[in-house]
Amino acid sequence: MRRFLLRRLLLAVPTLLGVTVVVFLTVALIPGDPVGALLGPGAPPESRRELTERLGLGEPVPVQYGNWLWHALHLDLGVSISAQRPVTETLLPALGQTLLLTAVAFALVVTGGTALGTLGALRPRGVPGRLSGALNTLAVSAPQYSVALLLIAVFAVWLRWLPAGGTHDVFGGGGPFDLVRHLVLPATAAALVPLGLTARVFRTALGSVLTSDLADSLRARGLSRTAVLRHCVHNASPALLTIGGLQLAYLLEGVVFVETLFAWPGVGRLLYDALTARDLPLVQGGVLLVAVAFVGINILVDAAHALVDPRVRSAR
Amino acid sequence: MTRPAAMTQARNAQDTRNAQEERRARKGRRARLARGRYGPGLLVPAGLAALLLLLAVAGPWIAPQDPAAGSLDDRLLGLWTPGHPLGTDTQGRDMLSRLVVAVRPSLTGGLLPVAVAAVAGTLLGAVAALAGRITEQALLRTLDVLYAFPGVLLAIAVASLLRPGLTTTVISLSFVLTPAVARVCFTEVQRIRTAEFLEAARVSGAGRAAVVVRQVAPVVAPVVLVYCSSLVGLAIVYAAGLSFLGLGVAPPDPEWGAMLDESRPALLTHPSVAVLPALTILAVSVVFNTLGDALRARAGDSGALLAEAVR
Repeated sequence: MRRFLLRRLLLAVPTLLGVTVVVFLTVALIPGDPVGALLGPGAPPESRRELTERLGLGEPVPVQYGNWLWHALHLDLGVSISAQRPVTETLLPALGQTLLLTAVAFALVVTGGTALGTLGALRPRGVPGRLSGALNTLAVSAPQYSVALLLIAVFAVWLRWLPAGGTHDVFGGGGPFDLVRHLVLPATAAALVPLGLTARVFRTALGSVLTSDLADSLRARGLSRTAVLRHCVHNASPALLTIGGLQLAYLLEGVVFVETLFAWPGVGRLLYDALTARDLPLVQGGVLLVAVAFVGINILVDAAHALVDPRVRSAR
Repeated sequence: MTRPAAMTQARNAQDTRNAQEERRARKGRRARLARGRYGPGLLVPAGLAALLLLLAVAGPWIAPQDPAAGSLDDRLLGLWTPGHPLGTDTQGRDMLSRLVVAVRPSLTGGLLPVAVAAVAGTLLGAVAALAGRITEQALLRTLDVLYAFPGVLLAIAVASLLRPGLTTTVISLSFVLTPAVARVCFTEVQRIRTAEFLEAARVSGAGRAAVVVRQVAPVVAPVVLVYCSSLVGLAIVYAAGLSFLGLGVAPPDPEWGAMLDESRPALLTHPSVAVLPALTILAVSVVFNTLGDALRARAGDSGALLAEAVR
């Protein structure tokens, strides 16, 4: 297990380096004149020269990349133009909020996807099977921003059951219950599409296990239906992990829309604001953060995969 | 005497039964095939998609009113208002006309990147599979890096460099979709790389280009095309998302994602202004995804999980 993890971590290094190269190139390729943009028009040439030197813009691009990477490794991603604060300082508190929202949504995806997929696999031609199939098609096609807007319109504006945004009520402040009330709609909006995909994949995986020799032999040994189902679910769970990891990535990109619409103070919301203000250092910082988180999640998923399925550990 | 007769009779009966069953089975298979080929599962989404394409071409002439003209007196009118069947937006512009005129940029933002990715991805995948080991590894590793970004994030990173507009949407989404197509094409070419019919073509003296054009392309093209058809719905959703973020088609031009963004100030008081474009994107995405699924079901299920892997 330790060797597997080590190899997986080593494999992630070139990918991470590649990610930083792409993000750096988007910084370096910004058209126009960053020095002029920072100093304003009509700046004296000597202060221009000084700033160019201070920003390291006179150096060749590979040297600039090295400098930038060195700073990024020390969590120095430059200064946000709109907030006038270091990018890391702005991003880190938001990251906590995003992780909270993503974790709740992911829990919804896994439980809901497994339930819907199991229903579909057990009675593929019955009402639950057909219903889960139809729900799947709808869920898979639904863009997160559409779902978010529809949820706000129905549950916050028309029915007035749940708040339309934020993390806490302004008055009568706080408490865990208040937070949960504010989490329901954004987490549902973020979770719907991944839930549909997870259900679809799990339904196929469980369906093939249920018709396999394994299931037949379990039934022949006289195990109860629930016991057979339990064994089969365990056998199909690697598929759940693979698709779950991919869905976690989808959740991470969806937060840009969901957080924006629900005024959730996370990284996604910050990215939207940064894009509107054309605050490029903040945009690049956010993109880098999410991309690195994405690579990290993939490693975690592979590790979990290896824990559940001994075949993965010894592969290759 | 009687026995053989009875046996013959029995056999005849058996034969007719078998023949009947055979015929019934063949009929059933034919019916199933016909359903798979031209059944409602394929025809309905295909018809709707054709209708959308028609709207994309003719939208500006069909739209009942000027999508850019509005007066502040008429703003945020409700549904079923005379003259404005779907109401008006925050600036008093006719919602129906805006939704109809928006079909063209919204579909272009979804279809064009898929077309670009189809061409670029096929070329990259085929080159990676047919070239030497070093080229193959270099290309695959580069694609892996692009793959390491969640799609929207890569699109944002690319689009934030460019001026907002439809061209930006097309360019950045092409970056997102190309690696996926390239992977599918690579796998497919790799599968047939050592096939006997390629060997035979080479032995019979066909040049490299001839082998690729005459032997490889016919095998790979259907797979890539079916896969790409399943990307269209996703691309339309992405394109509208970029406009929502202010990176794609910019206001005042009508586009579904941009309309969503513009509707946000009125969201809590007049939700229908936001719900209409949201539902439109959802419906169009369902149409193209069902069409992609139907095409994939016809072609066999090989690409099914791959398409989901991209999301």
